[in-house]
Amino acid sequence: MQSGKPKTALLSAAAATVTAGPVGAKQKKDVDEFIARIKDKSEAVRTEAWLGAGEVGARGIRPLARVMKDDDMEVARAAKRALWRIVRHAGRPGAAKEKQAVAARLTPLLGDKQPAAVRREVLWMLSEIGGVKQIDKIGALLSDKELREDARMVLQRIPGKSSLKVLRAALETAPENFKLNIAQSLRQRGVEVPAPACVKLAPTKKTNVKPIG
Amino acid sequence: MKKSKHINRREFLTAAGAAAGLPYVIASGVLAARGRAGANEKLTVAHIGIGGMGGYHLNDMKRFRDRGVVNIAAVCDADENRLANAVKSAGAGVQPYRDYRYVLERKDIDAVVIATPDHWHAVQMVHAAECGKHVYVEKPACCTIEEGKAMVAAAKKNKVSVQVGSQGRSQPEAYLAHRYLVNGNIGHISKVTCFHYNSPEDSNPVPDSDPPPELDWDLWLGPMRWRPYNKRYCHGVFRWIMESGGGQIRDRGAHVMSCAMWWMGADGTGPVTVEATGTPPKKGLWDSAVTMDVTYTFKNPDWVLTWNQHTGNAVPAEERTGKEPGGKISRPGYGAVYHGDKGKFVHWGGDGGTWVEKKAREWQPPSGAKDVYKSPGHKEDWFKGIRTGAKTIMNIDAAVGVANLCVLGNLSYILGRKLQWDQAKQEIVGDEQARRMMSRPQRHPYHL
Repeated sequence: MQSGKPKTALLSAAAATVTAGPVGAKQKKDVDEFIARIKDKSEAVRTEAWLGAGEVGARGIRPLARVMKDDDMEVARAAKRALWRIVRHAGRPGAAKEKQAVAARLTPLLGDKQPAAVRREVLWMLSEIGGVKQIDKIGALLSDKELREDARMVLQRIPGKSSLKVLRAALETAPENFKLNIAQSLRQRGVEVPAPACVKLAPTKKTNVKPIG
Repeated sequence: MKKSKHINRREFLTAAGAAAGLPYVIASGVLAARGRAGANEKLTVAHIGIGGMGGYHLNDMKRFRDRGVVNIAAVCDADENRLANAVKSAGAGVQPYRDYRYVLERKDIDAVVIATPDHWHAVQMVHAAECGKHVYVEKPACCTIEEGKAMVAAAKKNKVSVQVGSQGRSQPEAYLAHRYLVNGNIGHISKVTCFHYNSPEDSNPVPDSDPPPELDWDLWLGPMRWRPYNKRYCHGVFRWIMESGGGQIRDRGAHVMSCAMWWMGADGTGPVTVEATGTPPKKGLWDSAVTMDVTYTFKNPDWVLTWNQHTGNAVPAEERTGKEPGGKISRPGYGAVYHGDKGKFVHWGGDGGTWVEKKAREWQPPSGAKDVYKSPGHKEDWFKGIRTGAKTIMNIDAAVGVANLCVLGNLSYILGRKLQWDQAKQEIVGDEQARRMMSRPQRHPYHL
């Protein structure tokens, strides 16, 4: 796609979608144009697009998540950076509704229809702006072998009783080889966990290199 | 013996005629206290991370070994090729390890030099301190605000001597600059502007792949969240990735701003606001800002520190003969300008090469002028800290203060907004997302 339309015009139109209520044809067109710019062959166009993604907001999330799976790694990377831009913009002070809207749109992307790479990235986005409404979905991933370590760290980062409650419960139900990880998060949150004992100082990895002499 | 003798920087400033660094002098009777080597005892050291700067430190330490100051007991790296080379370089009797925790288990090792990528600094320094080891750790000290707090606490609790590798403070011309500035030669300084060229863009992005057989990728990642290997992460280039390095503002900011904090007498203080803008790379894995402008506003006393990262913005280097204390200026692309109400002062470099203007080098202190601490050398200053308990020139409190400037600058850039900082509480104020980003949960078992 060639980007004939000035960036500011596109962005202000896309930004309007955040506040204008239902997505009309024009708003959808603006988001489509934004996505096309994210997929542009020119790295300069892609960069300009993702830099302005914050203004696009929640409506850009699903289409960007799709582009994150693009075969062109630079296009996929532009989409990921655009998503992060949206998260960082929505998390600004005084934008609670916008933040909640973005977090709400991100949450379904934790589902198993998405590849692990996308889900992992979304988890960390929610570590910055997620709240009570995201805790159960994140907590459910504590039983996913591929994502549980990220989910555990994300719950550690999200303040409040809800995340703590999920971590406490997980300490009881987690497989033995994951209890240490959960215990670590609880300790970081200020909870005394007598067992299992921390093994952070226990060496495990031997070298094959031999000393001289 | 009180092992962690706290000496305020201002206490270093003694009238001319008094011996420079007098507070460091400790009676011999207190040496060799528990946990501290005596004046004539060799220290037994180990090196964790032996590529890049780690290789430099190993070679440097061999110099001290040749002089009978230290034994080198062990080398450690997650890359077996690098480890094999280090063993060859270090010679007989040096034990190789992949996992640094084997090093920390050894009771015979007094001290460790940590020169791993930035994301490992805090965890390894804290673990070493918890095992009673003195630590030299590369700069910048920490990747997050909470890591910095843990480092300061661990050093204090375990009473170990920590030197952070912002060695610019120990350079001969740094002493001359410091002495020149504290004696009011350019008057009251209200602004320091640091200049530096751009962070690089990745000109050769490649897809993720399997790690090479010699690299323990899990161990290299350590505290960072898991991701597939990509050869643009390492080695050396970790600096250009926000999570593991953070760009020039961290790599060189931890040098140039270290000099500024030291010379301004600002260790232990911090800004009230931090505001950054910048431009990102257009492609590739590296995500640190290519160009960058950060403004740090300090209050009581009021001054402003800026970090300006733009290729071509350097102050032209002065002509030199090479006979100056620091020799010829080999890295003129970064440094700082100090703006006083009676004039300006410029330095170039700020790391292992610190070069200052002729007027500061040639200034002769009049009677009654203030003197400042003169480091005997960055490692020598650390050894002194180990043996006597004296505070090192780039102690962990000061180093965390400087690293926090780098961390906050990058946070403001990432978030695209001004941050408010509470120095007393060591926390960001009024921004929930930024507050969450003061820490980064770490992967098990590579955590604080």
